[in-house]
Amino acid sequence: MSALALFQLVALFLLVVGLFGLIWRKTLVGMLISLELMVNGAGLSIVAAAQLTPGDAVMGQLSTLFVMGLAAAEATLILAIVLVVFKRFNGTRTEDVSRLRG
Amino acid sequence: MTDTMEILAKAAFAFYALIICGGSIMAVGSAGLVRSLVGLIAVMIALAGMYLLLAAPFIAFMQILIYVGGVSVLIFFAIMLTRASPDGDEAQGRSFRKGFHAVFALLIPAGVLSVIIIRNPEKGLAVPVELKTAVLGKGMLGAYLLPFEMISVILFVAMAGAVLAVWQKRGKP
Repeated sequence: MSALALFQLVALFLLVVGLFGLIWRKTLVGMLISLELMVNGAGLSIVAAAQLTPGDAVMGQLSTLFVMGLAAAEATLILAIVLVVFKRFNGTRTEDVSRLRG
Repeated sequence: MTDTMEILAKAAFAFYALIICGGSIMAVGSAGLVRSLVGLIAVMIALAGMYLLLAAPFIAFMQILIYVGGVSVLIFFAIMLTRASPDGDEAQGRSFRKGFHAVFALLIPAGVLSVIIIRNPEKGLAVPVELKTAVLGKGMLGAYLLPFEMISVILFVAMAGAVLAVWQKRGKP
């Protein structure tokens, strides 16, 4: 098996474990942790594809950097949302937040 | 000489892959959120090692700086501010249906994508491309200037939105 396939399999592992956790977790913070796993797997996949194929390596590395910036912004926003939910619902269980009223 | 280097690289890959497997299972499976955050941090550090193996030291450094230094602290804040305890919400049992859904969501992409990766062996390069950091910097200031300006705008909007979301009007409880 080529090195590229091995790196892609590790990235795929991170993706599926993150997907599992996203459904398995009951609180918003646990879901955030699973989400970060998936984003990290995406970054590894992009860098492996950039470095181990004849494609443009600069674009690949910079797009991983882009993903990291987006992940930082997303984590900030999710922290704020978690705080608002905690204040209003007195907990961050997803079952409490999933009901619409109106 | 090259043989020993290759064996060393394979051993390092196996070591990092092992840490990634253990850390991600810990991040998803443990009942205490702090413990699962420790698993996530282990995964992030092992991924930085993987980036070093791929000859991308700048990305490895950024991985540690942004994820281990920034994002994990944010998640720790979220854990502390919601007063999550090891025997709290996450420790309670789940319905059979939820477990079934979770395993289903795990198996389908795992099956489809791993078959695609294994059945279509892309040869790829044996040795990763060596790229000087100066070239990356030139790319950031040249061809990819707009995406990086957009990142700063997105970060500003995210911070402003976060402040606005938790804003409390005076007099309101």
